[in-house]
Amino acid sequence: MEGWLTRIATNTCLNMIRGSKRRPELTVSDLTEDESSWLDQQLNEKVGSVENEIVAADLADRLLGTLSPEDQQALLMIDGENASIKEVAEATGWSESKVKVRAFRARKKIRESMEKLLGYKGTRAEQVSK
Amino acid sequence: MNYKHITEIVDSASLLSLSPEEVEQVNKHAEECESCRKAVAAARISALAMRARAQEEFRVQPSPFFQTRVLAAWREQQSVESGPAFLRLWKSASALVSSMALATIALGVLTFVYPEPATAVEQVASTDAAEAVIFDQPDEQLTYEQVLSTIYADEDEAK
Repeated sequence: MEGWLTRIATNTCLNMIRGSKRRPELTVSDLTEDESSWLDQQLNEKVGSVENEIVAADLADRLLGTLSPEDQQALLMIDGENASIKEVAEATGWSESKVKVRAFRARKKIRESMEKLLGYKGTRAEQVSK
Repeated sequence: MNYKHITEIVDSASLLSLSPEEVEQVNKHAEECESCRKAVAAARISALAMRARAQEEFRVQPSPFFQTRVLAAWREQQSVESGPAFLRLWKSASALVSSMALATIALGVLTFVYPEPATAVEQVASTDAAEAVIFDQPDEQLTYEQVLSTIYADEDEAK
């Protein structure tokens, strides 16, 4: 019964994510002023306030929006909810290796997007002009 | 340790959940390799953003109609505590009703207990009352002699 309910909840969440608009890529010009200043704060390793946490959560949402629904689901459950690979596999019906691959791919894509936003890949001026 | 190796560690799990040994290994390599240092910095910030997002979901957020429901419940409770509708109406309008009642009583007293004295106009009207009564009477109720005697009575007395 528990597994059945979990599966239904997971599929419902997946459908909701699929329904939301997916952006192919997040660039510096897409960032709000708050998000940009939050990134600068993190680079300088300053402690953020509650408002900054909200900005960070919004930025995470936008980064997640560049992923496929399945990758979002895997990353949210593992990195967000601290679920284990096994738990995610049981909830989604995927194999454990598939969960690992999806989470790995999602983290890699988000890290690369973040590197672009931080100006590590290409200059910020180039990104803004895009 | 090459670049690919360290990014595999970074991407294999959230940077915030790596073991101390893995963190040490990553930091040690990052000190020597600039591209890995950037990758670690980006992964750290991404992990912080993800954690903030997860915490944001757990933060208590009232539903859009929460305030409306609370106010409705509060008003309902207030109406129950304040008793029947008549008492509530009396509480709000007692001052007005009392002042209106006092004004009505005062007007009644002034009207019936202390009537106004007759005015000068009324006194003048009383001297001409006899003629007025006659002239106001329908013709068939008075005889011609009665009319003449009334009009010329004063002249006869003067003579």
